Amino acid sequence: MLFFSRSKILMILGAVFIGLLLAIPNALPEKARDAMPGPFQRTINLGLDLQGGAHMLLEVDLSSILDQALVNERTAINDAFRRADDRPRTEFVRTDEGTILARMRTKEDADKAMPILQALSQPVDPTQLNSAKTTRVNRESDKNIRVTITDQNIEYIRKQTIEKSIGVLGRRIDPNGNLELILAPEGDKRILLQVPGAQNIDEIKDRINKSANLSFHLVNEKDSTNQKAMEIAMEPPHRVSAGDKYFPFSASNGQGGGLIVVERTRITGDCLKDSSGGPHPETNGAVVNFSFNVACATEFGRMTARNINKRFAVILDGEIITAPNIRSAITGGSGYIEGGFTLESARDLALLLNAGALPAKLEIVEERTVDPSLGADSIRAGKVASGIGLLGVAIFMWLSYGLRFGTIANLALSTNIILIAAALSLFGSTLTLPGIAGIILTIGMAVDANVLIFERIREETYNGKTPINAIETGYKRSMAPILDANITTLIAAITLYFVGSGPVRGFAVTLAIGIVMSVFTAVIFARLLTATWLRGKRPKSLPI
Amino acid sequence: MKDISLVRILPQEPRVPFINVRMIAAALSVLAIIGSILLFSTRGLNYGIDFTGGTVIEINTSADPDDAAIRAALIDLGYEGATVQGIQPPVGALDQQGNPITHRLMRIGIQLADESGEAGQGAQQQALENLKEGLKESIGEFYVRNTEVVGSQVSGELRRKGIMSVALALLMVLGYIWFRFEWQFGLGAVFALAHDVILTIGVFSLTQIEFNLTIIAAILTIVGYSLNDTVIVYDRIRENLRKFKKMPLPQVLNVSINDTLSRTILTSLTTLLALVALYVLGGLALKGFSFAMIWGVFVGTYSSIFVASPLLLALKLKRGVNTGGEPKEV
Repeated sequence: MLFFSRSKILMILGAVFIGLLLAIPNALPEKARDAMPGPFQRTINLGLDLQGGAHMLLEVDLSSILDQALVNERTAINDAFRRADDRPRTEFVRTDEGTILARMRTKEDADKAMPILQALSQPVDPTQLNSAKTTRVNRESDKNIRVTITDQNIEYIRKQTIEKSIGVLGRRIDPNGNLELILAPEGDKRILLQVPGAQNIDEIKDRINKSANLSFHLVNEKDSTNQKAMEIAMEPPHRVSAGDKYFPFSASNGQGGGLIVVERTRITGDCLKDSSGGPHPETNGAVVNFSFNVACATEFGRMTARNINKRFAVILDGEIITAPNIRSAITGGSGYIEGGFTLESARDLALLLNAGALPAKLEIVEERTVDPSLGADSIRAGKVASGIGLLGVAIFMWLSYGLRFGTIANLALSTNIILIAAALSLFGSTLTLPGIAGIILTIGMAVDANVLIFERIREETYNGKTPINAIETGYKRSMAPILDANITTLIAAITLYFVGSGPVRGFAVTLAIGIVMSVFTAVIFARLLTATWLRGKRPKSLPI
Repeated sequence: MKDISLVRILPQEPRVPFINVRMIAAALSVLAIIGSILLFSTRGLNYGIDFTGGTVIEINTSADPDDAAIRAALIDLGYEGATVQGIQPPVGALDQQGNPITHRLMRIGIQLADESGEAGQGAQQQALENLKEGLKESIGEFYVRNTEVVGSQVSGELRRKGIMSVALALLMVLGYIWFRFEWQFGLGAVFALAHDVILTIGVFSLTQIEFNLTIIAAILTIVGYSLNDTVIVYDRIRENLRKFKKMPLPQVLNVSINDTLSRTILTSLTTLLALVALYVLGGLALKGFSFAMIWGVFVGTYSSIFVASPLLLALKLKRGVNTGGEPKEV
């Protein structure tokens, strides 16, 4: 146990040396750090509770997405029936307990409908060979056909929704890409958002809460100017005739009331190539300038050419922000929207429009925001507490085991702290406030392995063994309990990591790293120190 | 170089008759466990918002805050159940402009009574808005240092996860000890751990210190720590069972506990040293955690001596069968 080959010594010292190099950048000012070679520039990643920032969990409203999927499917079915050469006649097509039920007039109609419905069922993911179909079509009786959206399709929609939401959020919150945001899916229906540093949290929340669903609709002038129709339309479900819907004017528009518009449109937020906020070219208000992509520009040109002297309504999140009169066909694919904006609100809206619409509503289900000043306090407190803890433990070890063995234990302890810092820097793991607690706890517990060994050596010496023999046996006999004890603690730490969340994970990480490092420093590094001392001194008795 | 004199805490061969008092210890432990369960079922725990859902903000007012005005403002806002807690800023605390904070900070917590259903959508966020607006109107400008909002969806999950993590850790540890030792040891260790966890929950029920996520972390660490202690004693028992083939079991246990006693005490003391530093200097966020851990070190040490080892007697550890084979060396 006390013999170390030359190569082994080199390896141990090399590991400690590299650890030291990795840990040092944390103590250097930023300038000196930049001069270091690549891997040694890394420092410990501070968690949001230490550097300040906002941590949020956003929950995607998946049920609304699924409802929307059903509505789309129903529209597609109706369209397909209408376009069919040999048109099947229906009694109704309606959503029914999360599926769509089509009741046909006769058995023959249902026979005709079946292949049409089956043709609508497409592979969920066209890029995959064996992809499941989007829908399942069941003939329930002679006249009833049930169309179910498959689980695979729902899963696909869910993933797409989360993915798209993350993209939109990133562009909205950090349009210039310099905030070092973390945006990641968390579980099935949540998105983790972390914004480090001091930020305007209320502004960020505003951008999360807005859907920014923009669309351009033709106004049904006949109904909109008909008092009777408007009265009906103002009550839910806001419909007078099929395909039309009433929308109110937004508060910032200032017009009051609302209009009945044609609900279907192809001009949506997806058409936008670019938008920007700016001053109104004539008045001193503000406008949002926009330009469409080519396909939509053509479509918009056609739509305006056919409807001169009618109005079109620009609807944002269920409210009409403006409804200008079409004076001539708009073929250039660009224009501006007035809507009682201020320069600031116009720019905000342009930013949201450029980022795209959120596919579903998001709810902030968890928020933890820490001001950088509080984080700095925590770091300071952590430093003081670990300093004092370290000093106390060191003095205690000297008192218990004397200068020689006390120093060995304390060298092992300091190396342990350095190696924890090195591992945290190297792996880029995040240090949280509970993580600091983990380190301080490790300071207390790390000496355990050395205590075990030294106690054993004492015991063996007391039993009359020679120094070399006592140390040899001491290390040998302590090995099993040290490993057992540390592996069990490691099990607890790993469990904590996998089941815990947020800052608690940070604690688990430092605790686990601390345990592994403490075994290395006490069992290997300290043993090397002891062996070197023994070989140099060849003591007759042990100062323990 | 001359070595300084050595402080020996204990005689080299202490022979404290721990095993003889096992019945008293057992009675004490059973009483404490019953007491803890009673406390838990009658008083319950003071759950933090991690587990109940709710909103907590920590604010820094321009001068020492007026508690009465804040309470009145909260009642005006309709948050009768709100908690208001003045806290001393940690040593050397600076405000957002880098000036030292000389007055108390305020921690205000609200837990919404009903947050379910459609109306609950964003209710917590709404409450946070109302709270900030309303306070600004009644006590003027203040600076928010910390905001925590946990919705009921999340808190329910955190509660489930917390219970699951403790149960899972106990189970995995049982498996490991079983694999390394014999079943009596595994069962004894897990009994001792359950004892520690129950007593820790009992203390939190007694003191009504806020029980939150970090306390779960503390409990799991206590599990790790206490197990550490227990395994060391068990390891020595296994070794001594081989060494003293003729010695009666109670005596073997006693010798083993005494053999490891100085280590047990030394490690507990160094750990306590670090924890007390954390408790005193670590700031509010870590107070509960370090309190739980300090308690855990005491309970864990006690249980490995007075619960885990005597349990081997009660579980009728058989010699020979369990002690076969050489100690595993690594």
